[in-house]
Parts: sequence; structure tokens; C-alpha cells
Amino acid sequence: MNDQGLGIRKIVYYSEEILLENGLSPAVPAIRATAAAVVTNPWLDGKATDDLNEEVIQLAPVLARKLTDVLTKELGGVDAIQAFGKAAIVGTAGEIEHGAALIHTPFFGNLVREYFDGESIICFADDRADAGASLVVPLWHKNAAATRTHYQTITTRISDAPRPGEIVVALGASTGPRPHSRIGDRLTDPIVKADTLGDLIS
Amino acid sequence: MSIRKIVTLTEDVLIEGGREVTPAARVAVVAAIVKNPWAGQGFVEDLSAGIDGNASDIGALLAPRVLEALGAPAEAYGKAAIVGLNGEIEHGSGLIHTLAFGNHFRDAANATTLLPAVEKRGPAGVVFDIPLKHITDATIRSHHQSIEVRINDAPHADEIVIALAAAAQGRPQQRLAAFATETK
Repeated sequence: MNDQGLGIRKIVYYSEEILLENGLSPAVPAIRATAAAVVTNPWLDGKATDDLNEEVIQLAPVLARKLTDVLTKELGGVDAIQAFGKAAIVGTAGEIEHGAALIHTPFFGNLVREYFDGESIICFADDRADAGASLVVPLWHKNAAATRTHYQTITTRISDAPRPGEIVVALGASTGPRPHSRIGDRLTDPIVKADTLGDLIS
Repeated sequence: MSIRKIVTLTEDVLIEGGREVTPAARVAVVAAIVKNPWAGQGFVEDLSAGIDGNASDIGALLAPRVLEALGAPAEAYGKAAIVGLNGEIEHGSGLIHTLAFGNHFRDAANATTLLPAVEKRGPAGVVFDIPLKHITDATIRSHHQSIEVRINDAPHADEIVIALAAAAQGRPQQRLAAFATETK
């Protein structure tokens, strides 16, 4: 079945390349991007107890393949991609669970990890909203999720989607860390507990 | 020229009106978020120094990028200047309504017509629509279209968003009578 037969109406790519942040060029430049697909919600008119698995198996792998292809091509290859994240915006005629179904099963997440050569759990955002809603997509390192330099976000938005009967499924990626990341990491952190801070919060 | 960020947006339409669009219809936008060259100077009567120092450079930066993002010959195009809240709309107009800016895009796209434009002032995250028309004949009705853009943190009050848009085709499912059929 072709993309249109699966109900894919639109594919949108958005990227940001930061040249200056607070007046200074980032020491490690990065491009942050999202690729998003607008699909017909395959569970419209369903019940809250329906099993969603059959449609997940049909649709989620195709979305994983398509969105990873776009980001890999635009960002210069799998090795260039250091951080990733995912998101779904369900149109107002659908359930939040419908978006979760498309991004939170192995039929999406495992394939994204495989195509991006990553091992981390994929961080996410989801929402139900009208067309034109913005959603902040969290990203973290694809192989070492606790790498603090790579905690970052990118905002995704499609002007005319999701319609009430549609779902926007988005994948985010970054080729590097935050500009000027300089807040340490788990190896350099001091031990912080309420009683070590003394008067500050007592 | 001080550029904070470069944004690229492409939209591929695969279905319109419930029918397949084959091949998918693509529109691309590339935007540069630049420091307003006249920020903090009050009312500047003669804008020519700021125009001469920036307009051509921004046009030269954006034109090849938007055609690369499109990935196909451009058939329609347009431009935008979105001025941050501290600036004048005239500042944005100054940067985009010069041949020094537009000729980079016209030459790269083998185009001849004037670029349709949007000029507007707004806060960071303002939504704007870039109008596009055919690159060699602005009366070709099938190619009248627009694309909506939003950059969540731009323009800052002392910045200007300068953008170019290109389409590889007319509107998906375009089926209006040609302009000439109404003027005979």
C-alpha cells in the first residue's frame, strides 16, 4: 500500500541551525529538527475498550521508516544524529491513547532506535489539540540518555493539522548538544540534599 | 550581518481534497533571523547604509538554501520580512524590497517576475503567511499559493526574520480556469 493509501496526508520537516546564542557562536554547532506526518486516525468511531494492535502493526512501522528517512537525509546521515525524541498530537475526535499507540510500542520505537543506531529509551510529548497547535518535543542522547549536555527541545507545529480525525506523529533529532551547555553532569555534581543546603531552604 | 538562527521548513502534501497528490507537492521555506541593522538608533531617515550592508548578503545566503530544501526546480516563489516589536516595518521592507536582495533568488531560480511578499511586525512566535506566485508569469493562476510559518522564539524585539519560499508546482488539485479565459 502506498503512503496515501495508509492515510498519510502531509509530511513536514522543520529545522533550526543556531549560529549565535547570547551573542556567541556555539563551540559545538548543532541542527535540531523534526519530521512530522499527518495521518488519518484509524480508530475513529471506535470504543474506549477496543484493541488497537492491528492498526498499530500496519501504520507505526511505516511512520518510523518514513520519519527516520527524512531526518537521516536532511541531517547528514545516521552518525550525525546524536539526540532523539518523539511526539504525537491527536485531533479532537480521537483519544490520547490513539497517539500513544502510534509512538509507544516496539512497532515505532524499536524501529526508530534501529534506524538511528540508538539504544536509549526515546523521550516524548503527546497532546490532543486543534490544527496549528505547537508541541515541544524533548530530545536526549540516543545512546546515553542521562547525558546532560544533550537535554534540549524543538517545537513542532503544522498549520492545518491535526484535523479532528487526524493524528500528527513527529520525530525529533539533534546533531549536537545545547549551545553553550555548561551545567556539569552527574560525574561533576556535588551531593545535594535538603539538609546540605542549610539556611537556604530551611 | 549578524544572524542568530537559520530555519528550514518543507511541506509535502500527499492528499488534498481526499485525493492523492502524485508526486507529492512540495513547498520550502528558509528563514534567517537577523539583528535589525537599525536597532537602537531611533528614526533613521536614510536607510541606504543598512540596506547596502545587509540585503545582498542575506539574499545570497537564503537563495541557494531554499532551492536545496525544495530539491526540484522552483515554479513559484515569494519572500517575507517580519520585524520585531522595536523596529519599523520599513526596516524589513528595506532589506527585502531591493534588487540586491531579490536578484539572488531570481537568478538562482531562472525567474523573471517580481517576488510577492509579506511584511509585518510582531512578537516572537508570530504566525505569518508567505505568498507565492509563478516565477516567470505572475498571472498563472494555478501557482498562486501561500505557506504558513511560525518560529517560536523569533523575531526578538530587535530582530528581523527574513525568509524565502519556493514551490515545485502549483496548488495541489488546482483546477481553476486560466486568467486569460476571463479577459478575452
